Amino acid sequence: MDNFPILSRFQHDCHVKVVDTQASDTIAELAAACAHQSVGVHVKDQPGKILRVRPTTDDDNAEPFSPDITVKDAGLAMYDCIDVYFTDPQS
Amino acid sequence: MALLDRHEWYDIARDTNWTPGYVSREELFPPELSDPYGIPVEEWETFDEPYKVSYREYVKIQREKDSSAYSVKAALSRSKFHDEAGEGWASVLKLHYGSVALTEYQACQFQARMVRFGPSPSMRNMATFGMLDELRHAQLQLFFPHELVHRDRQYDWAHEAAHTNNWAVVGGRHAFDDIMMCRDAITGTLMVSFAFETGLTNLQMIGLSTDAANVGDFTFANLITSIQSDEARHAQLGTPSIEIMVRNGRKKEAQQILDIAFWRMWRLFSITVGIPMDYYIPLEQRHLSFKEFMYEWVNRQYVRQVEDIGLERPWYWDEFLDDIENHHHCQQGGIWSWRPTVWWNPPGAVSPEERQWLEEKYPGWNASYGTYWDVITDNLLAGREEKTHPECLPIICNMCQIPISNRPGEPWKARVLQHEHEGRRYNFCTEPCRWIFTTDPDRYKDHESIVDRLYSGEIQPPTLDGVLAYMGIGVVSEGGHDGADYSWIEGFRAQAAE
Repeated sequence: MDNFPILSRFQHDCHVKVVDTQASDTIAELAAACAHQSVGVHVKDQPGKILRVRPTTDDDNAEPFSPDITVKDAGLAMYDCIDVYFTDPQS
Repeated sequence: MALLDRHEWYDIARDTNWTPGYVSREELFPPELSDPYGIPVEEWETFDEPYKVSYREYVKIQREKDSSAYSVKAALSRSKFHDEAGEGWASVLKLHYGSVALTEYQACQFQARMVRFGPSPSMRNMATFGMLDELRHAQLQLFFPHELVHRDRQYDWAHEAAHTNNWAVVGGRHAFDDIMMCRDAITGTLMVSFAFETGLTNLQMIGLSTDAANVGDFTFANLITSIQSDEARHAQLGTPSIEIMVRNGRKKEAQQILDIAFWRMWRLFSITVGIPMDYYIPLEQRHLSFKEFMYEWVNRQYVRQVEDIGLERPWYWDEFLDDIENHHHCQQGGIWSWRPTVWWNPPGAVSPEERQWLEEKYPGWNASYGTYWDVITDNLLAGREEKTHPECLPIICNMCQIPISNRPGEPWKARVLQHEHEGRRYNFCTEPCRWIFTTDPDRYKDHESIVDRLYSGEIQPPTLDGVLAYMGIGVVSEGGHDGADYSWIEGFRAQAAE
């Protein structure tokens, strides 16, 4: 099985969710997969904003990954925790 | 034949001890099953249980208790209470019986370990009664729900839950195997008799019995009162054991034992007690919020009791107080969202009036948990019921086995705490759960959560349906659905129409 679980800490969600991904997915695809499990399920959508992904850290200040790189290039592995959060397109 | 008064013979009889002649004391009482702390037997012989009872008295009292519990049940068996009580109270019963019935049987085995391996003769004497108590509790709580199985198969989880891999059962099993089934007699009595029974359940049963009477379930109220009266007695095994440990230089160990067990039991207690109190019991019959109950009945008392015996409040007390505000609200959301995975029918119980009550009792609830339920309510109002069922699993804590969650909305507090051990990554919900793992990694390291089992290939097929079947859903009974058939959204529909 090429899929492996990533732990999605989606902005404003109550639960940290297990989202399947694969090494060849882009970060944008991973963000969309995480959004599918949270937005409209437990979290309100924020139209006009875009999603970014960063590694979960204690002080919530990690740099976001570029949306175009792959999960593999981002160095993400099984049970890595990511923050998925809304931001303005310009930021 | 004339009988002596109890006080004339009790101390001699209950202090009966002997010096083994054919084996060494260490062979008779192996430290790993009895006392691993090396406290001299003379010290254990000072164990003085606060509650004294003879076997004759015990049998007489227990017979009366049983007689009362069964006769109330028989008298009310033709009442229409269960037809009229609603699914909220039925959820309280199903959750209670499924979680508790066979755990009581485990408790019987745990007490039996003290009966055999307790280093003090009076402890062994007292635990004998505790063992019989727990057996009675298991019998009662298997028999009472059995009568309800014909009405609803979900009541059969009282018998079946412990034999399944349901996620909630795995959580309970992990915790009780840890504190009750896989400990020596002394550590076990601190963990179970003191941290769990004295600290949490004894008082909770008084509240639960009151709640049952308030909703008109006098059979259950009477049953719980009957059990609580036993618990109040055998829970007292813990305090004298702690006093002996503290007196013999084992304060640090005693403190750690209590801190582990109190947290482990709290994480379960908050779900099995907090959710019913704040969500399942009908609004008009709630007499205290869970938070009010905790502050009035548990917090102050627990701190006073540990300080009285020379220990301190747990190091994680601030985190515990924060958990009182959050854990059960998170798990109400989670259990409701993943309702097909449980054996009861949890009502959403967040109508406009219920939300107002929650906001009153937990200021800030609406701004946080309200945002979570807003999305669900909008989906239901728009006819998108399918969107109320998540298509993935939440990550599960490798200690308490409960979904890792925390305050939603703007606070966004959910966070996984990780720990690497021998090349494996473990996920924890809180610092205390992570800390407990680090106190004894060999004890915990091989256990796999439901999510771990899904990705290790143990659960086949590795799909949501496969997970449900693995957990006993559709096998023992159907899984849960909203216990109020979504009637709690009607107030919002009316508001929208105005």
